[in-house]
Amino acid sequence: MKTVTTFLLACAAAVSLTAPIVPLAAQNAAPAVSVDGDIKSEKTVPDANGKTSVELVDPASFLPGDRLIFGQNYANTSAEVVTNFTITNPLPEAVRLAPDADPALEVSVDGGKTWGKLSALSVTASDGTTRSATHADVTHVRWVLATIAPGTSGRVAFPVIIR
Amino acid sequence: MKTTKQLLGAVSAVALVAMSSTPALAAGTRAGTTITNTVTVNYNVSGNAQNAVQASDTFTVDQRVNVNVTAITTPVTVSPIQTNQVLAFDVTNLGNDTVDLALTTALRGGTAANISNIRVFRDTNGNRQLDAAEITAGAITYLDEVAEDATVAVLVVSDIGINAVNGNTFDVALTAAAHTDGTTGSLGTRILATSGANTAGIDNVLFDGAGVSDAANDGAFSAQGRYVVSGAVLTVAKTSRVVSDPVNGTTNPKFIPGATVEYCITVANAAGAATATGVSLLDDLPADVLYSSAFGIFVNGNATCTAGTAGGTFAAGAGVGSRDRITGTLSDVAAGQTRSLYFRVTIR
Repeated sequence: MKTVTTFLLACAAAVSLTAPIVPLAAQNAAPAVSVDGDIKSEKTVPDANGKTSVELVDPASFLPGDRLIFGQNYANTSAEVVTNFTITNPLPEAVRLAPDADPALEVSVDGGKTWGKLSALSVTASDGTTRSATHADVTHVRWVLATIAPGTSGRVAFPVIIR
Repeated sequence: MKTTKQLLGAVSAVALVAMSSTPALAAGTRAGTTITNTVTVNYNVSGNAQNAVQASDTFTVDQRVNVNVTAITTPVTVSPIQTNQVLAFDVTNLGNDTVDLALTTALRGGTAANISNIRVFRDTNGNRQLDAAEITAGAITYLDEVAEDATVAVLVVSDIGINAVNGNTFDVALTAAAHTDGTTGSLGTRILATSGANTAGIDNVLFDGAGVSDAANDGAFSAQGRYVVSGAVLTVAKTSRVVSDPVNGTTNPKFIPGATVEYCITVANAAGAATATGVSLLDDLPADVLYSSAFGIFVNGNATCTAGTAGGTFAAGAGVGSRDRITGTLSDVAAGQTRSLYFRVTIR
């Protein structure tokens, strides 16, 4: 069954960041995906055999220089296949992408205008000179999944450091 | 940490503006700054774009408390009976929020009886010396509203006692303890570590190391400087020798009435000591001798009371009990040097 889409929904929640308020036509369809973000830190835990594994735990404190993991848990809660699934994550100004982030991560250093792997991006200075982009230049991170089968879920995440 | 979900009316991805202002400080993002991470999710079902979904998570940056104290001028050479001797320090707030810093001093080495009046002054012009204006401003017990990454120059000032001798040392430690910045002009409360799990507000983490007299992670730091006493170490000796007598002349003279006696006063300064200046001698003659003005008084002689130059003063009856008095001033006596004053009398 095809789900009729392209409708606008009222912004009902009281906690609104910068979302514009738009007039909407009523519709009762629930979103086909759920996205639940979290902020964790990685803890190295030795097991009984002395091997270490990495656990995600709630951070004990948030201090400048601390390394955090910004994660998004997503799920296709509908009976349909979801396609072109894109999560766009602008980095808050007070954090920077950690140097050990996955090099395959799709990032932007120009405010979301262009995207690519960090190693392929460059930054132009005000005097016209260009240099390779570094982790500290990253302004946005995004993930694009071609399809998500109904009922399946997954998680994407990347490490940041509090400035 | 707060998590919210939001349904958006827009169809395309919305790049949201970042939340917090972050000054580029070495201390890092200011405590209390709220950091919110918001994602926008776009997707299609059956080829049709759906309403975007939004999710965000928020946390509050906690306070890292970290203080540093460094002794800038140490060791400092002082003399006995010197007042307002200065040890200069730098005190730095390495944390990510403004704090008040309580300042205390402690004598950690040296004889307490020989050093006193230890105070702290603000080194307003940063020249590592105690200037008149800084004295007038008065001694301080804390630094008010020290910003992140700020360093304040202070002076630890002490008086050296009369009984301090050459080679004595005094170690004085300066401790700076982090307090809340509170209201301007008054010292806040001592910052304690927040125990338990992270809260939604500002939690305090004490990050400091261990200084000379404080523990790591106690919200304070200490460093010490040393005063080294450089004094003259003088040994004064007065000897006499009979030069001649009326019967034997200068051959084996004896101490009999009419004999000429030479008094030799030596001032010796020990090796490694400070130069003695302003050395003045005073000698009241016994009643049974008569000063010999024909010979005169010699100053700056050597250790055997020869090679001196004419100097000094004889004042009849000027001494205690109306005795005759000899006075004289020697030139500076350097370490390892001996100078002397000598004159002659006749035994009445």
